[in-house]
Amino acid sequence: MSAAPASGTAPPTTKATSTDKNADSPKETKPAAALEEDDEFEDFPVENWTQEEAEVPADNTHLWEESWDDDDTSEDFSAQLKEELKKVEAGKKR
Amino acid sequence: MDVVFEDFRKAYGEGDGYGLSMTLCPIPPNDQPDRFPNFYRSTNFQHVQKDFKYRILHDAASPFKLPIEEGNGWVEVYFTYWKAIGEILNAEASNEKASWVKVYEAWKDMTNALLRGYTNCGFEAWTVPCLYMAGKYLRVFAIKADDAAGTSTASVKTFQEDDFNPEGEKNEKLEDAARILNKIFTTCLSDRAPLEESRKWGIYNIINLLFKTYFRLNSISLSKNILNAIQAYRGDMPTLDAFPKSHQVTFKYYVGVINFLEERYEDAEKHLTEAWLLCHKDSIKNKELILTYLIPCHLLTTHTLPSLALLEPYPRLQKLFLPLSRCIKKGDLSGFDAALVAGENEFTKRRIYLTLERGRDIALRNLLRKVFIAGGFEEAKDPSAAPVRRTRIPVAEFGAAISLGSQEVMEMDEVECLIANMIYKNLMKGYIARERGIVVLSKGGAFPGTGV
Repeated sequence: MSAAPASGTAPPTTKATSTDKNADSPKETKPAAALEEDDEFEDFPVENWTQEEAEVPADNTHLWEESWDDDDTSEDFSAQLKEELKKVEAGKKR
Repeated sequence: MDVVFEDFRKAYGEGDGYGLSMTLCPIPPNDQPDRFPNFYRSTNFQHVQKDFKYRILHDAASPFKLPIEEGNGWVEVYFTYWKAIGEILNAEASNEKASWVKVYEAWKDMTNALLRGYTNCGFEAWTVPCLYMAGKYLRVFAIKADDAAGTSTASVKTFQEDDFNPEGEKNEKLEDAARILNKIFTTCLSDRAPLEESRKWGIYNIINLLFKTYFRLNSISLSKNILNAIQAYRGDMPTLDAFPKSHQVTFKYYVGVINFLEERYEDAEKHLTEAWLLCHKDSIKNKELILTYLIPCHLLTTHTLPSLALLEPYPRLQKLFLPLSRCIKKGDLSGFDAALVAGENEFTKRRIYLTLERGRDIALRNLLRKVFIAGGFEEAKDPSAAPVRRTRIPVAEFGAAISLGSQEVMEMDEVECLIANMIYKNLMKGYIARERGIVVLSKGGAFPGTGV
């Protein structure tokens, strides 16, 4: 009885053609999850999936943004800064 | 018992490893709530081995004939499984917490019987999902048993004893489980059969169970031993991408977090990004966990923050990261400090506190950058030339900006020190002319990577 998969790239855990269907049933994961702590990596309900099923929603480029915000660099800030500077200088002279 | 062995014969005949592993599941299928009571009552201690032997080795209805040795190995596995089921039924009925310790011991016996099957009885490699099943619940039952032991002895123990060895007894069974999982790991890794029929295909599933266990035991350094061991075998191993995605994603997540905790943020980012991109789209919880570490990584390596679109599906992450993100963007130092204090418990629990703390540099960089931009442009000598930003900025202006948020005046020496640090970390380019009390910033990119 050979364990070799036809393609040689899939694990020999099944000789049937479909791997996915045989994976743990959802029912099986439920009680286990209840036993585990809330910040533990969960077992996946299926063993394997296609790249389409891993698709990251939305355009990946919009998911990360720059850490500064130029809209915020307003007149307001430079006015406040001047005010503060005056205060600091006044404080020094005292 | 006939149902169990029918399933056994079917899965074995088809060479279906996952199907076979389901016959060793300690949780009954939805549509067969009576499977276990029936299975347990169908025989008794006196006859169980003979009964199982007959069904596995001598049943005329069986479409195949197992070699005697292998067959006896499976008899032993199902015998120990039968005993474990008995303990589980008992634990569920008695509601007595200590009985989970017995469940753990019984399940451990079954796991060991299974292991002997591979080392002594010629169990074939396609059956390794049985090891996944055994290992998965070995860990689950160990945690249950430790919980039970903890609650039953807590009242007797004095505070001091507890204090003396806080981890030691609390995780006794889980530590024991880690040793058994390690045996499974070795049994898979040391298989010398050709790759296509090797137990090495089970390796990442077992490694992931070990990682989970070590993380829970807080002995993350042990995970490194595992990584070193597979590194040594890498020439004789299938590459990671040939394994099922669930094995890959879990493995990459844990390797990412290990790197993260050892402050190797670039490696951490690489593994976590791969896990993020491969993760099943419906596994929200796992994606949330990946992002919990990927977001602090991004902050340090590329100085970027998660967008609202990214955080949208994860209210918990919004709560965790949005207050800090806002302060970083605004360059609001005292707000940043307050947000860090407010989230301290959560951040520490997830072991991201120290990394996030370093985000203060980015907040400071953004504040100093605002001062630079508010400084405007030099008076142009040549009106046709592009305007040049004012690059000589008094230290006092930076100092004023810092005290603006905190309502506290900072000593000039201290401000200089902060600026020197920024320059050293390459977040700012220029030098401090101390005697004149000004900072001379680079004309070609005073704040590298930020467009000015």
